[in-house]
Amino acid sequence: MNTGQVISGAGHLGLIAFALFGGAFQSEPLPFEVTEVTAISAEEFAALTQGESIPEAVANVDTPEPPQEGEAPALTSEADTPPERSEPEVAETPPPDDVPEPLEPAPVPQADVSDEPPVMQPPQEDSALLVPEESPRPQLRPAPRVAPEPVAEPEPDVQVDDVERQEVTPSEEPAEVVEDESEATAPEEATTEIVTEAEENDVANAAPAQSIRPRNRPTRPEPTETAEPAAPETDNSAVNDALAEALGESGTSSNDAPQGPPLTAGEKDALRVAVQNCWNVGSLSSEALRTTVVVAVEMAENGKPVTSSIQMLSASGGSGAAAKQAFEAARRAIIRCGSGGFDLPVEKYDHWRDIEMTFNPERMRIK
Amino acid sequence: MMRYVLSLLLACMLWAVPVTAQDGPLRIEITEGVIEPMPFAAPDFVSDNAAGAELGRQIADVIAADLAGTGLFREIQPEAFISKITSFSSPVQFADWKAINAQALITGAVSVDDGGKVIVRFRLFDVFAGQELGDGLQLVGTQAGWRRIAHKVADQVYSRITGEAPYFDSRVVFVSETGPKDARQKRLAIMDYDGANVKYLTESSSIVLAPRFSPNGDRVLYTSYESGFPRIYLLDVGSVQRRVLESQDGTMSFAPRFGPDGQTVVYSLTRGGNTDLYRMDLTTGANTRLTSAPSIETAPSFSPDGSQIVFESDRSGVPQIYVMPAGGGEARRISFGQGRYGTPVWSPRGDLIAFTKQSKGRFHIGVMRTDGSEERLLTASFLDEGPTWAPNGRVIMFTRETQGAQGRASLYTVDITGRNPRQVPTSTGASDPAWSPLQD
Repeated sequence: MNTGQVISGAGHLGLIAFALFGGAFQSEPLPFEVTEVTAISAEEFAALTQGESIPEAVANVDTPEPPQEGEAPALTSEADTPPERSEPEVAETPPPDDVPEPLEPAPVPQADVSDEPPVMQPPQEDSALLVPEESPRPQLRPAPRVAPEPVAEPEPDVQVDDVERQEVTPSEEPAEVVEDESEATAPEEATTEIVTEAEENDVANAAPAQSIRPRNRPTRPEPTETAEPAAPETDNSAVNDALAEALGESGTSSNDAPQGPPLTAGEKDALRVAVQNCWNVGSLSSEALRTTVVVAVEMAENGKPVTSSIQMLSASGGSGAAAKQAFEAARRAIIRCGSGGFDLPVEKYDHWRDIEMTFNPERMRIK
Repeated sequence: MMRYVLSLLLACMLWAVPVTAQDGPLRIEITEGVIEPMPFAAPDFVSDNAAGAELGRQIADVIAADLAGTGLFREIQPEAFISKITSFSSPVQFADWKAINAQALITGAVSVDDGGKVIVRFRLFDVFAGQELGDGLQLVGTQAGWRRIAHKVADQVYSRITGEAPYFDSRVVFVSETGPKDARQKRLAIMDYDGANVKYLTESSSIVLAPRFSPNGDRVLYTSYESGFPRIYLLDVGSVQRRVLESQDGTMSFAPRFGPDGQTVVYSLTRGGNTDLYRMDLTTGANTRLTSAPSIETAPSFSPDGSQIVFESDRSGVPQIYVMPAGGGEARRISFGQGRYGTPVWSPRGDLIAFTKQSKGRFHIGVMRTDGSEERLLTASFLDEGPTWAPNGRVIMFTRETQGAQGRASLYTVDITGRNPRQVPTSTGASDPAWSPLQD
């Protein structure tokens, strides 16, 4: 019996069970009245009925005598006395109301008519509040900088800088903590992709017209033949030997591998984000944008890259010239954003003393 | 039971060992970057005499304008400089240039010898790497040709940083337009790619259209109504001598373009109300008919290897783009979008075809792969048309005309990514540009 039949049988059984016991065939009860009754014993019933006499059937019923003919009432011919009618009182006529004196009609005011057309006043700005607000669709805007995260256009009088900073101006009153005077800075306006003139303001085309066909489901890996697991050793000494061997191996590898906990995923991400913020591929050729380079860099303990140590380990996807351009862009990114020292935990220096960075511009080609 | 617990503990320990240890250097992958102009500094080129001092300033200005005009670079204004370049051979104070975020530094020197020769030397530095990019270079030219020297320096800088082929030392032939739309006068003119050094090649007595450079830039094909009907002319740029190339009675010929060998011309010929494509051998004057459809076939353009021709045809009802073998034969349609397609031009790299598209009341300049895939519209306006490729296939120049009776035609450039649309400065109206190859 294959798996399909088992699943089908189980499903059908479950369905039948649900029909029988799950209340699928229960119907609503018919409506009926309920009266409260009290159950009593025969003695109680007898006691209740003792004082009551059962009416007996009467066989002899007195027949009423018919009236005698001579005793008929005599009829009189006197007319009935009409009831007295009271005369209505005559109401006194009220004096007539005073006739109001007619008022002189008020003079009709003469309207000032002018040949000049009235001047239409523009509606107050508040009237715009009556207009229902539309939900504007996100509009594509070109920006000189294309970055992973969009950045709104900074204020016109704000200096563009990598670091956002509030303006500090000297105050007249001396403060306890005197800050150096500096201008306000903000990151440069950025968009997440190149917006061409044809796409700009084309709200209707803001939505993608087509999407990438979903990839096929990955094929299930072929089951590999694995050796039968060996029977567990019952001897404790074997466990001890394996433990000692494992510890021994780690001991030998400690000569090359750094000790202690490695960088967390968050620490690695912070380093990656710091480098990518300076990785400018805008000035690379089309061929260099198809080239992936792996760059090795040695780091000083203060988090700054050792410039002379930066070298290209490998390149793929482009010519030698393209690899050179791609490497130079990668080197600039490492040096520029590392000039102030990357934010890396000093206690884990052994783990980031040597770094290999792979610069893969594949996703930047479609921006 | 104890045995199983010990085995479980052992398994956990063996699994945990490679996690806490790191094998080799830390590895990270960077897949997201930024696209922004690279800041550069181009101080005035130093000079040891007064004649060279003025040239040094002018050359630096042209270099900066060339690089900034690409949209890939951003000039740092001289007012922000901390260091001054006083000697071509003195060491560069990289810290001072880093402080103003100059990623590239161009230094140079100019000298004018007794014979009037201009000698220009320059160096390019990667400021943050603290080293020179490539070797220093020396260029020699005439004083009148100082702009070309500056363009050549900018070409070197552009290529060394981007890896793209250069294009600054090139020219553009175009139709200069004056007067209102209903009485417009047109002349052929030639200028540097940046609008400088304009020279007129024809008079304004007749209408001229669609000039095209030969592959080495020494000749120009164009269409003129000098005879009352459109005729193709061949003009020598150096001597400004011209001759009619095709003049069959009862026909109209137009839309010529050189083949990559410089001896073949493909063009449209209208005979009996039907327009087809023809091919002419300039050496023998022999004509070969390439198409014979009842529809209009025009705007042919060779592929860089000369094996194929892309052209415009309305055989499907509306103008679309087709590709056929250079010797004629079955054409295959490659444009299938909404709207009307026209004026296709094959990129000098061979990877893209630029075109004009009219759709929903607007005109666009766009690019697509040679099989018609990956169509991308780069511009949008009341009227954009007539794209032409820069010699390196990275930039497109085209005509943009504004609306109304007083509308004016101008030349614009745009990067093939759609970034950096920019007007080319011209003293008159300008249309129908054709970009020359890079000059020798």
